[in-house]
Amino acid sequence: MKKLIALALAVVMVLSLGACSVQKAETPAPTQAAAPAATEAAAPAAPEAAPVEISLWTYPIGNWGKQEVVDQLLAKFNAAYPNIKVTVEYLTYTDGDDKVNTAIEGNAAPDIVMEGPERLVANWGAKGKMVDLADLWTDEAKADIYASVEAACNNGSGAYYEYPLCMTAHCMAINKTVFEETGAWQYVDAETHTWTTENFLKAVQTLYDAGYKTVGAVFCSAQGGDQGTRALYNNMYGGTFTNAEHTEYTMNSPENVKALETLYAQDGINFDASINGGEEADLFAQGVLQMAFCWNAATHAARTEVIGDSFEVFPMAFPSPNGTDVKLCGGIWGFGIFDNGDSAKVDAAKTFIKWVCDENTLESVSTSGFWSVRQSVADPYADDALKSVYGTFMQYMGDYYNVTPGWTEARAAAWNMLQQIGTGTPVQEAADAFVATANAAAGK
Amino acid sequence: MANKKISVNPKSRRLMVHETVTAYLFLLPFLIFFVGFVLYPMIMCIITSFFDATMGREDIFIGFGNYKELFADPVFWKALWNTLIIVLVSVPVTCIFSLWVASAISKMPVAATSAFRCIFYLPVVTGSVAVTMVWKWMFNNYYGIFNYIGQATGMIDQPINWLGDPKYALGCIILILLTTSVGQPIVLYVSALDNVDKSLVEAAEGDGATQMQAFWKIKWPQIMPTTLYILVITTINSFQCFALIQLLTSGGPNNSTMTIMYYIYYNAFKLYRYGYGNAMGVILAIVIAILSAVQFKAGQEK
Repeated sequence: MKKLIALALAVVMVLSLGACSVQKAETPAPTQAAAPAATEAAAPAAPEAAPVEISLWTYPIGNWGKQEVVDQLLAKFNAAYPNIKVTVEYLTYTDGDDKVNTAIEGNAAPDIVMEGPERLVANWGAKGKMVDLADLWTDEAKADIYASVEAACNNGSGAYYEYPLCMTAHCMAINKTVFEETGAWQYVDAETHTWTTENFLKAVQTLYDAGYKTVGAVFCSAQGGDQGTRALYNNMYGGTFTNAEHTEYTMNSPENVKALETLYAQDGINFDASINGGEEADLFAQGVLQMAFCWNAATHAARTEVIGDSFEVFPMAFPSPNGTDVKLCGGIWGFGIFDNGDSAKVDAAKTFIKWVCDENTLESVSTSGFWSVRQSVADPYADDALKSVYGTFMQYMGDYYNVTPGWTEARAAAWNMLQQIGTGTPVQEAADAFVATANAAAGK
Repeated sequence: MANKKISVNPKSRRLMVHETVTAYLFLLPFLIFFVGFVLYPMIMCIITSFFDATMGREDIFIGFGNYKELFADPVFWKALWNTLIIVLVSVPVTCIFSLWVASAISKMPVAATSAFRCIFYLPVVTGSVAVTMVWKWMFNNYYGIFNYIGQATGMIDQPINWLGDPKYALGCIILILLTTSVGQPIVLYVSALDNVDKSLVEAAEGDGATQMQAFWKIKWPQIMPTTLYILVITTINSFQCFALIQLLTSGGPNNSTMTIMYYIYYNAFKLYRYGYGNAMGVILAIVIAILSAVQFKAGQEK
């Protein structure tokens, strides 16, 4: 009898394990947006369309990283399309790529992912994991969306792995209060928010001489916010990160080497391998640093409370030889669909993307805190004086070189290069090593 | 004399079969986990290490290509060197410090012993991310408490970029690792010291043995199994140091805190070089296995 009971217990244990795994599979995703009952009731019934559940994984692109905001958007979407249920997972830039990569390798990739062309086109798209969205790119869309954005969303062979929603131009920021107090304000063109490289260096020296020993930090602990450091050394003497065809990395050009040598030698500029872009922005907001190289409208909005009334933030373009020939790094964000082999889910995902980008454009864009990729869409922040300043930087949008082959490896090698320079490796040597690594990755 | 055939009662045989089946059924859940989450990944790791494996295309068999590349990779050697430094520093320091603390607190009243056990075990049960973030603040170049105290006491003139300077970064990692590593050994040593036969110690002291002699001749041999376990576990944990590196330095600056575990992650997850990462994993497993075997052998001989 005892043996029988023991056997029965063992069977129960094994079965319970199986049951546990089944239960896990049925557990709903972290957040699930469904239309409120009243809205659903009001929505037109569509009995012919079978319900489809799709997953959206989104990086923290403005308020697209906030559940309470996204839930409202999804409720509105469900009012129009009650048969498509969208579950959302919110990623961070710290471990988001790892999560997505693990999911891809485990055949559990989300249906939709929201990010930029460097991931959707140059990485997962190039690896054959994304659905071609060419059918979403109608003639009307192509005519309306900025040509540079369209080029970034295209793999160069006619396949579109991203349908874009919003964009911004990454800039830098200075502590206006301190600049005025120390006399460094004279080097700033306050009207155009620009400055020459010569004036930038004079301003840094003025602040340093006034006692601010760390005016700015060339952060390089990891890749986070690295568009800021790239824009800094590319613009100072007119260098480029890649060639115009996006086939080769050109970081070791004399212009870039001169810029990095100048920065390394400049009092008040610290090559800091202990912080990344987000941490640099935090230090600026706390008043520890007097300028931030990793900045944009959303970065500013996220730190408004910390900054408070302690000082006035003044957004600036990066310094360039004559001040106005600046080329800012652009940020483009939109949606891609992973090829999970389910056409019904792909269709539902396309419906969702079209609704977000084409039907509910203004709200979707303003949720991001950035600007529309469509020329026909008005500035969502026309009444906001500060936001409007950030909007003026769009005229300086430079080449979107993040889609160059080998970008992932090149990006990792770039912050390693800055660390080497910061620890005394000659700039030309470090830059040559970077270019060799990056071009080898591009050629694979 | 002819061999006498032993006859087994059919009822006993049925009983034996039942007991064997029952035992295996009880083992089955663990076996499923072991095969699924340990054995299968290990075998896959070894197989993949012979392939040029990446995302989005079929794997290409390259034999020992990954291993050849590995031994010519300066960053791998740097990572191996850093890992060995971490192991060679943290393992003896953890063991000696834990034994010293355990010896001191095991003589205290029960309440005090429990309190100290809790205090030293707190970093173990606290999430590694939370602990690491606090250390990151303390080491901060701009407002960290270490620079503040150093400058206030005149020990340093300029703030030190603890985690951003190759001279200090690895030392900082080892220091944090120590604080999170000593909790479990202390608890184990306190229990082991409590289990030492008191009558033997008293008899030795009665015969004129000093406290030191009583420790080395009576207590130390009796806590040797615990020491061996702590040595092996601490060695493995030190070899697998990853979270600290990922959260604090990403292997930098200039690879000065790169460890084998982080380099495996970097290659597999950042560069999509699965075969290369797995080859490194195999080498790491072999190194750990050899060291653990040596430790076990040394412990048994003692």
